[in-house]
Amino acid sequence: MRYYARRVGFYLLAAWAAITINFLLPRLMPGNPVEVLLARLKGHLSPQATNALEIQFGLAHHTSLVHEYVSYLNQLAHGQLGISITYFPTPVSTVIGEALPWTVFLVGFATIISFIVGTLLGIIVGWKRGSRLDVLLPATTFLSAVPYFWLALLAVLLFGYVLKWFPTSGGFGLTDTIGFNLPFIESAISHAVLPAVTIILASIAGWVLSMRNMMVTVLGEDYVALAEAKGLPRRRIIMTYGARNAILPNVANFALSLGFIVSGAILTEAVFAYPGIGYLLFEAVSNEDFPLAQAIFLVITIAVLVANLLADVVYGMLDPRARQGEA
Amino acid sequence: MTAVFQPTDPAQATTAAATPAASLSSRLWVNTRGMLTPSVIAGLAILGLFVVIAIIGPYIAPDDPSATTAAILQGPSLHHLLGTTQTGQDVLSELLVGTRASMLVAFLAGAVATALAVLIGTASGLIGGLADELLSVLTNIFLVIPALPLAIVLAAYIPNGGEIALVIVISATGWSWSARVIRVQALSLRKRDYVLAARASGESRMRLIFVDTVPDLLPVIAIQFLSLVLFAILTEAGLAFLGLGGTGSWSWGNMLYWASEDTAWSQGAWWWFVPPGLCIALVGTSLALINFGADEVLNPRLRSARIARSNRASAAEPPSSAAGPELGAGPAAGDSDADVLLEVRNFTVTYRTDDGAVRAVRDVSFDLHRGEVLGIAGESGCGKTTLAYAICQIQRPPAVIEGGSLLYRPRADAAAPVDLLTMTAEDRSKYRWEEMAVVFQSAMNSLNPVIDVQNQLTDSLTSHRPDWTKQERNARAAEVLAMVGISGSRLHSYPHELSGGMRQRVAIAMALVLEPSIVIMDEPTTALDVVVQREIIEQLTELRHALKFSVIFITHDLSLLFEFADRIAVMYAGSIVELGKADRLYRQPAHPYTLGLGTCFPNVSGPLKTVRGIPGSPPDLRSLPDACPFEPRCGYRLPVCGTRQPQLTFGRPPLHDQTLVACFLHDPEQAASLPAGLIPGQASNA
Ligand SMILES: Nc1ncnc2c1ncn2[C@@H]1O[C@H](COP(=O)(O)OP(=O)(O)OP(=O)(O)O)[C@@H](O)[C@H]1O
Ligand code: SF4
Ligand SMILES: [Mg+2]
Repeated sequence: MRYYARRVGFYLLAAWAAITINFLLPRLMPGNPVEVLLARLKGHLSPQATNALEIQFGLAHHTSLVHEYVSYLNQLAHGQLGISITYFPTPVSTVIGEALPWTVFLVGFATIISFIVGTLLGIIVGWKRGSRLDVLLPATTFLSAVPYFWLALLAVLLFGYVLKWFPTSGGFGLTDTIGFNLPFIESAISHAVLPAVTIILASIAGWVLSMRNMMVTVLGEDYVALAEAKGLPRRRIIMTYGARNAILPNVANFALSLGFIVSGAILTEAVFAYPGIGYLLFEAVSNEDFPLAQAIFLVITIAVLVANLLADVVYGMLDPRARQGEA
Repeated sequence: MTAVFQPTDPAQATTAAATPAASLSSRLWVNTRGMLTPSVIAGLAILGLFVVIAIIGPYIAPDDPSATTAAILQGPSLHHLLGTTQTGQDVLSELLVGTRASMLVAFLAGAVATALAVLIGTASGLIGGLADELLSVLTNIFLVIPALPLAIVLAAYIPNGGEIALVIVISATGWSWSARVIRVQALSLRKRDYVLAARASGESRMRLIFVDTVPDLLPVIAIQFLSLVLFAILTEAGLAFLGLGGTGSWSWGNMLYWASEDTAWSQGAWWWFVPPGLCIALVGTSLALINFGADEVLNPRLRSARIARSNRASAAEPPSSAAGPELGAGPAAGDSDADVLLEVRNFTVTYRTDDGAVRAVRDVSFDLHRGEVLGIAGESGCGKTTLAYAICQIQRPPAVIEGGSLLYRPRADAAAPVDLLTMTAEDRSKYRWEEMAVVFQSAMNSLNPVIDVQNQLTDSLTSHRPDWTKQERNARAAEVLAMVGISGSRLHSYPHELSGGMRQRVAIAMALVLEPSIVIMDEPTTALDVVVQREIIEQLTELRHALKFSVIFITHDLSLLFEFADRIAVMYAGSIVELGKADRLYRQPAHPYTLGLGTCFPNVSGPLKTVRGIPGSPPDLRSLPDACPFEPRCGYRLPVCGTRQPQLTFGRPPLHDQTLVACFLHDPEQAASLPAGLIPGQASNA
């Protein structure tokens, strides 16, 4: 239990750090583009909204930093992330609220598939170390270095432009009404295929390679040799003695991998104009929509922290040493 | 005892214990030599090519990349090798010119991020205490905050910052993982005594960090640098693709940005965006390949996996057991075949490494009799563990059984022995643990850390006694635990919850679960303190009397074997140099090496002997000369010793006819040239 408490404590700290970075960023940066923006919007904004933005971006000249910080935290606590410039005058929270489910669905699904398939492949290639399967390694290495968005561009060209198998833009057909109806679900799925395949393809190589290397390392351990000497069935040797141990670093380092996948997914969404927060971030930076961009950074960070907490729970179940707060 | 070993040069004796710093940096050099694996060479070649392009690209570009022409969106042609863009610019020129900016940003950002990681990682790992706590919390926070979103927001604030801004943004968001890796390494270095010594002598902290430790961290830092360059090149491309790369100059990422702005794909203009992406992927691959090679160097198991590949073909056929049991009736003279449980003949095991074959077990032959304890003794590195693994046929790559035979006679009256090396896989998995079990050198490593004791005790029952119920299996697990003196309440403990002694007992209990007839024990007590060691040995003696299994007991502690073993085989440089009854070996060691081993340990009952090792060190098993391998260290050596290898044969009288020695001193042919009193095992020991 102490293990979980410690992890939760750490993520709260990390979330606080992200919030604080968010608060400090505009104040630390040379020049403040938001000032220009506010000037442009003068007359279109209510005094409260102007005030909120000023606090958010350090433009309220007559208040102290501490006061601004407290007000900022207070606004956040009430879910007020400011007003989007791109979708003026929609509040940022509404804009993000609409986009977030798309991303959670797409990235969550792709990450899980990629993790499971990649790990299984890694187990097999690792167990068959030294066999012909090792010719896969250079190809996998290449795949692991390919930028997500480039793969996305290729997918659009090949399956969208040349073969015309899948739609290449957006998250659903323009004629569909969002909701729980069959045409919409069908269209949503067909729109998600290419981005999902892109994310899976681009991220799977990392799982395969790290699992393979860990598998090879673990298979050199005495306890695996001993399991062989015990005449245990191959399946048990591979899974319970090999993979159960080999997967631990992958789960423990989930944060790092997830960071990469989320980063790649943002760019992939941008290519497919997928209505998730990755594309939204792209739009936000294109339009100098700083309230939106910063809020998205915060939301992505918190989503990643939650995913990491889940990974830690899984890790705790897999490794008895962690449960006791040793590791 | 008159003739002792010739004094050796003290310098030679201390080489093995050279300063850690020296050994580490020399290891680094040795590693660099072994590092040029095919993947590293390929990686370096690709990377080198791009570095050259980065330098000369702008000069060899056929056109001005920014010059617009009327030839818009044309596919590759002789005129435009990679076609043109929406505005009629030459793609090849853009690519060649853009290589410089992309590579420059990647390497610069990689360098800055590495410097940051080194600074934070080493400071955290070396200073320790509160500073470490704070710095590692900081590192971990930056690790869980996704890098690209932060970089995007940062870059959005400095839209026209150019390359410098990119470098700052990328390094500020990418350093954390490397800092963590470096911290872990620095922590382990901190434990190293010489760093502590430097500390004690009052050197300043900065000196401690940068002068003493950083050089030893270099391999790790180099790897992290490559990873960070890879991170930088991908992040730069991503930022540029979003239009945050400073659109003023040409880079691969910018090319992709324009290609996507002008929706190149919807016009089928693949030549526009495929080349820059391919370049990014190729540079990334080259870095990953180099890192892969470096991993192989730092993690020998990965290397062995590669070597195993090249060995697979040659090792596919089982070693011929036709080598002929040269000692067939020999060592068993006096014993009938019926007494022999396991017959090892001309057994040879080699590690096929990059630097040549390490002949760790050479032509080893011995019999294990029913109910006996056969001790195998020898210095560290003489091949004991290799032999134990190979007898169980669980040798790990790059170890290969090159030849010899292993015959098992399950029952005294069975006519045909079982050939362990050629039996089918199915028979082998039945035979394993049921007939032969093993206890490894290090108990912590021989228990699976993620499953509990009961599970590890019962899984062999599940596969070997499929008709048992779960209750029966668990009861048996509790029973064997009780046999080694551990309470049943420990059944649900995990290995890390047990003390070293308990783990070793669990390992022994595990070996006894199926009541095997042979138990191989590889230094089962070496890692334990003397009291626990004693207890376990006594317990083993009792268990052996109760259960009547035979034991091959491996240790470097000859004095332990004198008490515990019936017969002893002494190994040196991969082969047996003396084999005989324990009491005879104790009273009259025949081989000069056995004699030397005996003096390594205080002898409680006998006259006080000097406690010291044998001067010199064992030979390199990669290049054994055709001579007695002990010759350089032997105080008795004869002229013949340097010319060929002595065979393991019976010693001359008055040695018992059951004693085998591989030494020319005991060769009848050499007898004439020897002064009588000098031969060990023949001179009276008093
Ligand atoms: N994976 C390997 N690759 C190359 N050489 C190896 C490998 N493993 C062991 N060796 C070499 O084989 C020889 C025998 O090693 P082994 O572990 O069998 O020695 P040992 O007698 O058990 O030593 P110790 O008493 O230290 O346990 C050593 O010289 C060692 O350097
Ligand atoms: S053969 Fe010669 S060198 Fe070797 S142990 Fe015997 S006397 Fe010494
Ligand atoms: Mg050993």
